[in-house]
Amino acid sequence: MKRIYVIEDLCNGCRLCQSMCSSLPNGVFSDYARIKVLKVPGEERDIPIVNCDGRCVRCINDDGIPTCVSLCPTGALIYATQSEAIELRLKYEAARKVYSIFKIIAPWKWPLPYNLPEQHPAQKEVR
Amino acid sequence: MTVRQNEVQTILRVDLSTGEIKKETLPEQWTRQYLGGRGMTTRLVFKETKAGIDAFSPENTLYFGTGLMDGLPVGNSRMSIACKSPRGTLAEGSFGGFFGPEMRKAGIDYLAVSGKAEKPVYLYINDDKVEIRDASHLWGLTTDKTDAAMRQDLGDPNIQLKYIGPAAENLVHSAVIMGNINNSGGRAGCGEVMGDKKLKALAVRGTSGIRVNDYDGFLDAYREYYHKVTLKTSRDPWTPVWSTSGAPVLARLTTDMGSLMTRNAQQMGWDNDKATAISCEPYLDNYVTKAKACFGCPWPACQKLYSVPKGKYQGFKGGNYWAGQPVVFASLIDNSDLDLVLVLSGLCNQYGLDIFHVGYTLGWAMECYEKSILTKADTDGLDLKFGCTDTEGIIDLVRKIAYKEGFGELLAKGATEAAKIVGHESEKWALAVKGQELEGITERNNYMVALGIAVSEVGPDHTRWYPPYPCNPNLMSKKELADLGLDLDLNLAFQVRNPKEKGKLLRWFTISRAIVESLPGCVFLVRDTLGMDIRPWWKLFSAASGIKMDYQEFLTAGERLMNLDRSFNIREGFRRADDMPPYRMMYEDVPGFGYPRLEPVFNSMLDEYYDVNGWSLSTSIPTAKKLHELDMSFVLEEFQKLGVEVE
Repeated sequence: MKRIYVIEDLCNGCRLCQSMCSSLPNGVFSDYARIKVLKVPGEERDIPIVNCDGRCVRCINDDGIPTCVSLCPTGALIYATQSEAIELRLKYEAARKVYSIFKIIAPWKWPLPYNLPEQHPAQKEVR
Repeated sequence: MTVRQNEVQTILRVDLSTGEIKKETLPEQWTRQYLGGRGMTTRLVFKETKAGIDAFSPENTLYFGTGLMDGLPVGNSRMSIACKSPRGTLAEGSFGGFFGPEMRKAGIDYLAVSGKAEKPVYLYINDDKVEIRDASHLWGLTTDKTDAAMRQDLGDPNIQLKYIGPAAENLVHSAVIMGNINNSGGRAGCGEVMGDKKLKALAVRGTSGIRVNDYDGFLDAYREYYHKVTLKTSRDPWTPVWSTSGAPVLARLTTDMGSLMTRNAQQMGWDNDKATAISCEPYLDNYVTKAKACFGCPWPACQKLYSVPKGKYQGFKGGNYWAGQPVVFASLIDNSDLDLVLVLSGLCNQYGLDIFHVGYTLGWAMECYEKSILTKADTDGLDLKFGCTDTEGIIDLVRKIAYKEGFGELLAKGATEAAKIVGHESEKWALAVKGQELEGITERNNYMVALGIAVSEVGPDHTRWYPPYPCNPNLMSKKELADLGLDLDLNLAFQVRNPKEKGKLLRWFTISRAIVESLPGCVFLVRDTLGMDIRPWWKLFSAASGIKMDYQEFLTAGERLMNLDRSFNIREGFRRADDMPPYRMMYEDVPGFGYPRLEPVFNSMLDEYYDVNGWSLSTSIPTAKKLHELDMSFVLEEFQKLGVEVE
């Protein structure tokens, strides 16, 4: 079964997911959403907490992928089965050791490798 | 949860002298005429600030303004701050982060702070509860310590803060207002005015929701907009650069083109190895720890946090190494040590100093030292050579500027004032316009930049039109371009070293930017064709606000704001003679690159700009015809009262 997984290291704390999610049922943008991004006081960390089975009220691209996952700018949210999530996570961990750009964005969110001599295998996984 | 409709625009007025707090609603008409954000704050400054007042007087009111798109996850969570600048001009700036959306969630769109507190205070807003609280324990703290102390006091992790550092408390030239430790804004004078009012900080927390009028229309407009700015689908080659690896790459790109100010712009190209050493690759590889973003941004990592991994400054933490620092703390003072660049930049954030003020004033002082106008006796024994051999001394000098100690007191006045005191023709290499330092972008080989910097009402500010890497017209078809109805030859206009059509191009960019900043919008999210073609913004705004206006009316709002900016400066006594590039750019050639001085072409560009705007050629005052056309008779009345002659 597919569900939403989180890579905490990648979350940049923008709350696009939280704000958009809150508006989907009734058009009101607020803090009340199925996904919430926590800030740890005194530490620069952002932690998305998901309380959702992945069946989105309204997928913004009408493609079955939840709105929050579609819009997440860094790729910190994944909509996948458990085994796919493990595979993606391993790919991400390998990629960030090779190219430092993947410290801040997931390889599958970076389709334009202008200055790389060869594509990293993980990048071919463009969704 | 309370829900607020999006079209109501409220203003909270706080008088620090009397402690009076009241909430009002702004005239509905203004929303149509000025949209919000920068438009509204500028309108408020023009209306409520009397002509010719002292910037450091209780009457000078400081405005904080959000807009109708703040609080919606569009990624344009900017905020405008405006007041009268201590340099006499309009002071307007903008910052990102989370403060604007939080303010709107608290039910406040605009905040006007007037008067002067007797002792340091901060303003606490929690939905309907507004309090002026004592800030004696925070006064004198650096911004990072203020942030930590306030968060501990208030105990709410979601509270949003804006505060000033020691620089603004001591009324240092160009001091900025900070938030989230590394979002700064208000270098044109807002920080100094906030420090003068003894307002140490603002804290805001809001819990209400914002309802957009036409949600389906908003989502449609949002999809169109998102398609243009997001990494996967944007056609703009700059999108991945700005949104991930970052602008420091510009140092290396521009050094070969003669666009990188080196040694206080005595040279315009740097050593390639040095430029590579401070570029984004070593930064990303060794320093970056985490990506950060403003509220609802579709870009992954425009801001990044860094930590110095090893060496003398090991463990120094900061944020945001952007396009400015590689110029002002590297090439301008000939320093290729990335550790030092990042430490200087981080210290400026901690003290609340403006990096451009510090960088250009240091550059000016180093050139004075090179020419033996300043000696070790003046610099408190510091060896102020280009190349920064004495790193500890330079770091200590930044502290001295913030606290106005010793040699720092001279530099804290800014390059223009300092040059007047020192004399010996040092004004010639004080790189400033209207008393405000430049911002690290080239002028002599990009004529639109030169013109834009000279005419900008708040001092050099490239975000008031567009950066020198503008929206690419080649991304649009001939038909799409014709639909825009631009009356200019784009081929000529985009030739950087051809003076023709620059006035018209700058006019279009200024109008387009004035609109986007009034929504309010971020200067980085105008990628793809969003800078040239602002119809996607119009659709977003209409759906989000429920205000039905046709496209032409939307465009007129931008032109009106541009004329209002100009009228404010006219009222304060600024004329054509003040719209001049710095002496070095105007009268000195670029050595080694064959780029000539600006003098032969500049006046023709200025004429063209004034002419297309409908401003007087000799004085730059907007004509009566233009002001009537834009429904701005209040400006004419004000001019009549003051005896300003309008053509």
